[in-house]
Amino acid sequence: MKRRLAIPPLAFAPPQSAGHPLEIAQFHAWRLKEPVSSRRYTVVELQSRSGETGYGEGGPVPTAEIVEARAAIQGRRATESEFVRARLAGLPAMEAAVGNAMLDLLSKSRKVPIYQFLGGPTRFKARLLARLEGTDEASATAPLERAKRQGFRAFTIPALQRDAMIPLQEYVDRVRARVAKMQSMGGAAAEWVLDGAAAMTPGDAATVAKALEKVHLIWFDEPTGVLTTDGLAKITDESVMPIGLGRKIHDIPAFQNLLRQASVNVLRPGLGLNSLTKIKRIAALAETHYVAVAPYHEGGPIGAMAGVHLAAALANSYAVDVPVPAADRDAAMRAEITSGNKETAENGFAVLMNRPGLGFEVNRKALDTYSEERI
Amino acid sequence: MKRRNLLGMFAAAGAMGANRRRLVDCGCAPQVQRSKAMPPGSDVFKDVGSNLRITNMRVFGVTLDERIAQADRPYVFVKIETNQGAVGWGEATLEGKASAAMACVMDLKDYLIGSDPMQVEHLWQLMYIGSFYRGGPVLGSAISGIDQALWDIRGKVMNLPVYEMLGGPVDPRGVRGYYHAAAWSLSEARELRDQTRQAGVTALKFQLPDLLEWVETGAKIKRAVRHMEMLREGLGPDLDFAVDFHARPSPTVAAIILREIEPLHLLFAEEICPPENVRAMARAVKFSTTPIATGERLIASYGYAELIDLGVVDILQPDIAHVGGVTALWKVSAAAEASGIRMAPHACEGPIGGIASLHVDAAGPNFLAQEICGFVDAGEKGKVWEDLMGFPAMRMVDGRYPLPTRPGLGIDISEAAIKRYPFQGTRPFPPAFHEDGSVASL
Repeated sequence: MKRRLAIPPLAFAPPQSAGHPLEIAQFHAWRLKEPVSSRRYTVVELQSRSGETGYGEGGPVPTAEIVEARAAIQGRRATESEFVRARLAGLPAMEAAVGNAMLDLLSKSRKVPIYQFLGGPTRFKARLLARLEGTDEASATAPLERAKRQGFRAFTIPALQRDAMIPLQEYVDRVRARVAKMQSMGGAAAEWVLDGAAAMTPGDAATVAKALEKVHLIWFDEPTGVLTTDGLAKITDESVMPIGLGRKIHDIPAFQNLLRQASVNVLRPGLGLNSLTKIKRIAALAETHYVAVAPYHEGGPIGAMAGVHLAAALANSYAVDVPVPAADRDAAMRAEITSGNKETAENGFAVLMNRPGLGFEVNRKALDTYSEERI
Repeated sequence: MKRRNLLGMFAAAGAMGANRRRLVDCGCAPQVQRSKAMPPGSDVFKDVGSNLRITNMRVFGVTLDERIAQADRPYVFVKIETNQGAVGWGEATLEGKASAAMACVMDLKDYLIGSDPMQVEHLWQLMYIGSFYRGGPVLGSAISGIDQALWDIRGKVMNLPVYEMLGGPVDPRGVRGYYHAAAWSLSEARELRDQTRQAGVTALKFQLPDLLEWVETGAKIKRAVRHMEMLREGLGPDLDFAVDFHARPSPTVAAIILREIEPLHLLFAEEICPPENVRAMARAVKFSTTPIATGERLIASYGYAELIDLGVVDILQPDIAHVGGVTALWKVSAAAEASGIRMAPHACEGPIGGIASLHVDAAGPNFLAQEICGFVDAGEKGKVWEDLMGFPAMRMVDGRYPLPTRPGLGIDISEAAIKRYPFQGTRPFPPAFHEDGSVASL
């Protein structure tokens, strides 16, 4: 259908906040790297004219993007999330970091948790999904045990990569065996998501999805990187396995297309590429298609806990990813940043913190310690 | 139903075994175990919510003199009170069904009393999803009034205007608006143009001159087209104007008219045919490049999904007094933006809804223009609105409605003023008939 009206690029008015208590007066950022896994992410700290601080996390970015974002938001108020979404649309990781830092700052200034600012709690606990490091059963054992000790009940299983020399039936059998093995290690109470890591062809993904239908995984995540209508139809037309998609997408119309072509059962916008307010918009799209939202996360603990606030406020959220490291040093770093390990669950759910903003103190010293660069 | 009865009902449902339930429930009642009694106001959210609690909800019918406002739409105002003194106002006006909307607001009271007013999304879900029957203008309007009042409270508690809580304003100067207008001759149109320019207004909206049947005569179609051509000639090329078809034509007739009026470059053509059948509407739309607007009779974001997905329209027009309040209007706007569809919210009721709409408009990057059921000359209705709200509400300055600056919706309603316009009961939406006596779409 032809469009008659184009939405022109927005021309936002110049900053009008000089001296306003919510004017963003200071901007700092840290490019962080976990010591063993080398997982990278960016943390932004904003300080308002009134002295309130807020923290937000985004995916890894080069220094230039941080510098550009800092210049863009100069003089803006912490309320201007629509400006940030538009202005930083080309820098999605910074849109996430800056947008979430503004939300933290704003919520602290109103003395309410972030989920309260986002529309209030729709639930009193939020389901967590432990993203296990490791590429096979052996390497996933340590993070699985750590996650179980931390109270998680839902986990990801990394799918096998298919070598071209392996016949399809043998590949499917191996995936099925891995799932069975992990399920046995996880115990009867565990629920599972199979992580395809966008590495399968649509054809292989369709075969795997159909073969595992009766295993009743919660969903099959990012089975393929081929997000075309035909490619995805190959999977969804073959199987009733729920499909999760969207971890690499950061423009909202692309999510709209997935919904429109009925290719997705669980939307997976990444917390490192989309601010909470942006994901709230994506969730509004999904709601009318009766599709759940479960933010994807492969970043740090500030991002994971921001995801918990979002899950608490959305009507159609299902779970939030929490990366569970294999290495003690990585786990220690994550705990230090949040002034104690906050990435824990009670019987599979995060207990919501009813304190202002994110609900915990961010440890600046830890940010300095683990940063590759501070800007 | 008293709240304690509702609490008892929830608790009983949780406690009863399946056999016992079979004795009292009808076959279509939910047979699921309600594993935990979670009635509104129960303590399951006590550790994560605020200390605010809704203590009372009142609904006011406000009837204006028929010489001032259409008799079919007494205003329905909702007031929510809390244990900490914060109050919120919203509007649930529903044309021709005021008593039904008022009754529905009170039907929802048991979901509200004792609840935390800050849980606006949860309460919306409770009223829309949790009450089983979804949609429809009566429920939509009732939820709208309540939801606006809840956002008013949220903004007041957080000391922020609602549009700032939604990430705005996109333009601090305000939001573009248009007034209603009528002109039946070239000289009237020219006079209106001058009056409009003097008022700094940049857009107007008109109606078609006739009722229209399923298919139409050439004479009537020419009359409609000539009317719009006259308006363009009289208003000049620089003044934007829209034409509200008011769902009078069928898609068949609409397609013919739309084809003819392309050169007039309307701001939009509104409700070119009835809203229920999106694919039928698409048949008419495909023949024209005139921007097409619709949506004032649709409820909740669900009601817009097909329009958006099929790409049938260019502009959506939810009414904040029907769609489900701030919460639902924002969601429709978010979904529309993703598809490049702009927003021109409908508002043809009272002043609270109009102002609530401004807040969502101001936070929407895809906003186009805001309707208000008023003319360039505010007339007596403007005085009533000033009486109710204490300021000349919804009047444009330089073509824009200025944004409220106070927290919440930025308004306060005088209950003393409300008493000056006592509710006179429901008056039906005035029907229209074709010359053969059959009912016309209006």
